[in-house]
Amino acid sequence: MVRALLYLRFTSLGNLLRSRVLRLRQPKYLVGAVVGAGYFYLIFFRRVTVGPPLSATEAAGFPSELMPTVAALGALVLLVIAALSWLVPSQRAGLTFSEAEIAFLFPAPVTRRKLIHYKLLGSQFAVLFTSLLFTFFSRRWSFLGGNAATHAVGWWFVLATLNLHFIGSSFVITRLLVRGITPWRRRLAVLGGLALVVAGTLLWIWHGLRAPQAADLADFTTMVAYLGTLLSHGPLAWLLLPGKAVLGPFLAPDGRAFLVALGPAALVFAAHYWWILKAEVSFEDASIMKAEKRAARVAAVREGNWRPTRGTDSARPGPFRLAETGRPELAFLWKNLLSTHPIFRPRVLAIVAGGLVALCLWLGSRPDYHAGLTIIATVVLMAGGYILFLGPQLARQDLRSDLLNADILKIYPLRGWQIVLGEMLTPVAILSGLLWLALLAAILAFQPADLDWLTLPARTVTAVCLGLVIPFVCTLQLLVPNAAALLFPAWMQSMRNRTERGIEVMGQRLIFVAGQFLVVVVALLPAALVAAVLIFASQWLIGPAAAVALATLPVLAILAGEIWFGVHWLGARFERFDLSSELRP
Amino acid sequence: MIEVHGLSKNYGSFAAVRELSFTVRPGEVLGLVGPNGAGKTTTLRCVAGIIPASTGTVHIAGHDLATDPVAAKRALAFFPDEPRLFDYLTVKQHLAFVARIYGVTGHEAIAQPLLEELEIADKADQLPGALSRGMKQKLAIACGLLHRPSVMFFDEPLTGLDPLGIRRMKDSILQRARAGAAIVLSSHLLHLLEEVCSHVLILKQGEKIADGTIAEVAARFSNGEVGVNLEEVFIRATGGSEK
Repeated sequence: MVRALLYLRFTSLGNLLRSRVLRLRQPKYLVGAVVGAGYFYLIFFRRVTVGPPLSATEAAGFPSELMPTVAALGALVLLVIAALSWLVPSQRAGLTFSEAEIAFLFPAPVTRRKLIHYKLLGSQFAVLFTSLLFTFFSRRWSFLGGNAATHAVGWWFVLATLNLHFIGSSFVITRLLVRGITPWRRRLAVLGGLALVVAGTLLWIWHGLRAPQAADLADFTTMVAYLGTLLSHGPLAWLLLPGKAVLGPFLAPDGRAFLVALGPAALVFAAHYWWILKAEVSFEDASIMKAEKRAARVAAVREGNWRPTRGTDSARPGPFRLAETGRPELAFLWKNLLSTHPIFRPRVLAIVAGGLVALCLWLGSRPDYHAGLTIIATVVLMAGGYILFLGPQLARQDLRSDLLNADILKIYPLRGWQIVLGEMLTPVAILSGLLWLALLAAILAFQPADLDWLTLPARTVTAVCLGLVIPFVCTLQLLVPNAAALLFPAWMQSMRNRTERGIEVMGQRLIFVAGQFLVVVVALLPAALVAAVLIFASQWLIGPAAAVALATLPVLAILAGEIWFGVHWLGARFERFDLSSELRP
Repeated sequence: MIEVHGLSKNYGSFAAVRELSFTVRPGEVLGLVGPNGAGKTTTLRCVAGIIPASTGTVHIAGHDLATDPVAAKRALAFFPDEPRLFDYLTVKQHLAFVARIYGVTGHEAIAQPLLEELEIADKADQLPGALSRGMKQKLAIACGLLHRPSVMFFDEPLTGLDPLGIRRMKDSILQRARAGAAIVLSSHLLHLLEEVCSHVLILKQGEKIADGTIAEVAARFSNGEVGVNLEEVFIRATGGSEK
């Protein structure tokens, strides 16, 4: 039986790897893999092969006497994570099995213990992979000592022990639930225990240790040293011992220390393993529920309907009253706004705008608070840039979300361009609203003392002109991902699918983001050139504010023309679009 | 009225539907039958304007689907085998959305009797996630019927319905046909076709094998026998295999 389970595990893994390699025959995955691998090389591996190691400079500046404090702090983090595994869960233990595993293994003559071993073995693949990934990410921490191999093994001990702890705690929680101990009683007990430890530590500090003096808080090193003293004495020190043991291999500065640290770490790991075998409980019911939820989630992702809040979604009132007649495109705005958080509503926008105006006016009336205005201006400018460049990737309530409903959309008595335009209205409205808020705050908060010509009227005119241009720029930006959804639906679908992972999928996403940026820059170039020439030529005659206003008109005309062309072209493409043939493997 | 002439649909070198012609007059119910992969769903998707035909013409209520798709679509309703609904719209909001798209004035007065007829009036404020498969199907039907179409296409209309739902659906189809609608439905359930359809069209590998009234098609394949049912006719017409 064990051999059959091992066969299942290794064959599944082999087939998964084979399918990943075979799909590289498709250009979309091959190109993605090349780009993804290049990205990984530049971010992680290049540091290994090119330039001085980071540790050379950083190790010199890191006092070795602080290492015990680092270990204690790490152990404290592990302790908090472990405590959360006792506090958060409210349901019975459910090991993660796929629906196929449940169908084949649960009715099979396999003992519960063997199923647990099967899952433990299965989880090791994920733990090993994550350990390697963390090793790459933590290369910058090599000032702690050790090398890549000791760090990889160290991460494995940390992650594998935590994994066992989660399983063990879930088993014990199940036992408590069976005995009628409710989640809240258990949480109170755990919190009570933690409170006792904290109180004991404070008591010990009161009696055995001095309170922090000014010298202890003078700089980073003295603060860390004082913290280390706190963590290495009293009752807390005992609680941190297992965590320190688990972290030992990772923090070992050299090979000998590493070998010495392996013993305690293995002991803690073995103790957890023994605990799980002893704590064995019925996990089948919860595992089946878990598998069903997971299967439903995967199906929703594949259909393009998955939302993080899906489970708690409830009916919402319409964002505005939808009249029975009028432009049908607005019906899409109404429909897609319903899919967003209720915060994206005109009423909320008006309230936030009012609050921003009041805050900026109040800060402006207090000379001693002018620094607050500078902070607001800086924050909103950064936020505005972020929304402008990354917003179209995040606000996806358009064809990207509705593409799998294409069959239904195409039955409606509308032309393709109307559907495309209607679908894009929601992200345009959301992004425009956010950018208008940022613009409003910036114009109120940005009061440069050394730019005399940038008067309040000039700033106001510029803001109004920018406010007019914003929806057009957002629409133009959103045309690109919507065009990609129609032109490369299979590609977009694999990028959307959150169950799809791998270096090739990451590469696909990188290509898309770079492509979008390039297309938008090219599309904005004509309007930007015309605006620059007009402002430069006319400002001498009519002043900067009027020049900006004058330049805005042709800019809007150019952008509207580009949008008209793009929407109609995409509409024609949508009318010819056949989802069933596009998504064929 | 549905008029289809020389309809073909090709996917590369593969012909899913070949030179298909048929007419469905008001009050007629045409049953589209054929083995798996015969091209039934592709035909329905082409005549409903979901996918463009490679060649041929489709007229819906007198409007050419290729040159005047908006007018043609205004007259038709398509009911897929799997109800496709928007997860975040309630039953009532689905109807409000569809009413705006089709410009149905006074839609609430039309929707209420529809919801009552389909027995989902008490679910008006529920999201699709809270509805059973059958209720979702009923909501999709309510959305399709809201604009009072004169042409209807049903793809496997009984999938997921309970026995009572099946009975109601059959009655509903017959009622719409009696009211003057031209209806095409595809199904593997031959007893449904015998009960509901006035005409039948048998497809195999994208080609029309036979069409006409059920009696005409039965007569063609009965070899002089009396009382041959549609199942036997189907098996004889298609040769009993998909190929």
